[in-house]
Amino acid sequence: MRVFKKWLFVLLIGLSQSAMAQVQDVSLHYVGPTDGSVWQGLQQGLDEANIQGEFLGQKYTLHVVSMDELMDLDDATAILLATDEQHILAVAKSEKFANVAVFNLISDSDALRSACLTNLLSITASNKMKQDALAQWLAKNPESKAHVQGWHEDFVKFAASQLNSRFKKSHGVAMDDDAWSGWAAVKLLSDTVARTQSTDAAVMLNFLKNKIAFDGQKGAGATFRDTGQLRQLVLLVEDNKIVAEAPLRGVKGGLDSLGLKSCK
Amino acid sequence: MKLKQLILSTLVLVSASAWADPTYRLFVTNEKSNSVSVIDSRTGTLETTLKLGERPRGIGLSPDHKTLYVALSGDDAIGMVDVATLEILGKLKAGQDPETFAVHPNGNLYLSNEDDAKASVLNPATNEIIEEIRVGLEPEGVAVSPDGSIVLVTSESTNMVHVIDTAAHKVVANILVAARPRGLAFSHDGSRAYVSSEIGNEIAIIDTKTYAITKTASVDVPRSKPMAIKISPDDKTLYLTTGRAAKVVIMDAITLDIKSTADVGNRVWGAALSRDGSTLYTANGVSNTVSVVDTATSKSVMEIKVGEGPWGLVLDD
Repeated sequence: MRVFKKWLFVLLIGLSQSAMAQVQDVSLHYVGPTDGSVWQGLQQGLDEANIQGEFLGQKYTLHVVSMDELMDLDDATAILLATDEQHILAVAKSEKFANVAVFNLISDSDALRSACLTNLLSITASNKMKQDALAQWLAKNPESKAHVQGWHEDFVKFAASQLNSRFKKSHGVAMDDDAWSGWAAVKLLSDTVARTQSTDAAVMLNFLKNKIAFDGQKGAGATFRDTGQLRQLVLLVEDNKIVAEAPLRGVKGGLDSLGLKSCK
Repeated sequence: MKLKQLILSTLVLVSASAWADPTYRLFVTNEKSNSVSVIDSRTGTLETTLKLGERPRGIGLSPDHKTLYVALSGDDAIGMVDVATLEILGKLKAGQDPETFAVHPNGNLYLSNEDDAKASVLNPATNEIIEEIRVGLEPEGVAVSPDGSIVLVTSESTNMVHVIDTAAHKVVANILVAARPRGLAFSHDGSRAYVSSEIGNEIAIIDTKTYAITKTASVDVPRSKPMAIKISPDDKTLYLTTGRAAKVVIMDAITLDIKSTADVGNRVWGAALSRDGSTLYTANGVSNTVSVVDTATSKSVMEIKVGEGPWGLVLDD
């Protein structure tokens, strides 16, 4: 019996090692600029996803394609878009991508949220979220000249400072809204693959919409609204200094006091 | 058999004589005022405040309790203090941004280097980093198993517990847990490990033979952000600090059912448990105090003023 147990143990270790050796390839398709903030954010997310992948057995690759090349694909695991509203709507509405997560990285267009497409996920804060945040702030500080940002290089809470410092170390510039969105999209996807152990687009989309509690390094575990908008706090910034976080303390509805709350 | 027992008891005697007498001092790192508060735990009075270096966070004792170690994140060093005389003994090099550490029974320090995605093994006798082990992003919590065979490290931004074999200094398993894992603890019998997840608001039990998660529970307390974990000497009770919930949550260590909660100061982070399990001490990062919790009644019986941003604490008892 002892011997048998020993052999079983050896066998199990062997299995787990061979399972580790079999690296799962995860291909992401991207349409958008290949320099500047959003691109750097994507690269940061990709580097971090691959650090996790080293331990858990995944390799993430970003395929840069044109809009035409994307529409010629038969299928995709996940699609990342830093393009305009019309292109995003065309991809999300296309029948072959109906079960594929389509990420709107940087457009704040309210129309993309009110379209209520089941596969469209918007990472950056919508225009209406920013307006609502500003209104909450101005109600208490009517003289303020603050504006709203999704991210800021001086943000330190919720381990934001660690993210800011490793982004700056890698890219030599401060992380901004678009960089955060690119980073967050890839990390949302790597979190999904790690937890579902699946690269099936529909399984991933379902997890993203219904089960994820994402650590975006800006507070509570982030989830998506049925509008596809990622719930998140935003920052009031005046003279390049963070003066407040919205939703402001005591505002009813918490994170859902910002922007279109639901499609229902 | 008799001879074996004799040898064993002689060995215990010899090793016991190497231990220093307890000073009952409670040491607290104050991250923001760059100091260590020294409290007489028998009276709850502040004895003195030591200045070791910049941004002290992780804190621990050598196996013989003669030396206090303090991770000085701002100095990339470990500060040392003689526990009995409170003499400051200088610094050990500790790699970039050491956040916290655990002391192995053989005396080595296992450090998490937050900015560098690695764990370092420091031999304090030679002041040498004897190994660097790559782990996930933002490594934080470190715990050594009671028998010293494995070390666990959490990586906050890759959501994993890494299992390091201390003989080979290799990562032998990676366990995916809920978002932003922070604190770690072993049961005293070594059969179970516990991990807290700050953003996932969860606590998980890991079987230390299979490295499988055998149980998880969310922490049903408003504003809870799970942080430090302590296990009672009989392995039956778990104490969890919860950050801005300003409570210690007391759970059954097997079922993870909440038995009671104790109100403590705000933004409660580090914790220390007396050897007999009767008293729990917490570092309250925003209140700038240490709470003293009587574990029999689950009530805070005293709040002691310390420096700014108290982070971690250790008791020499």
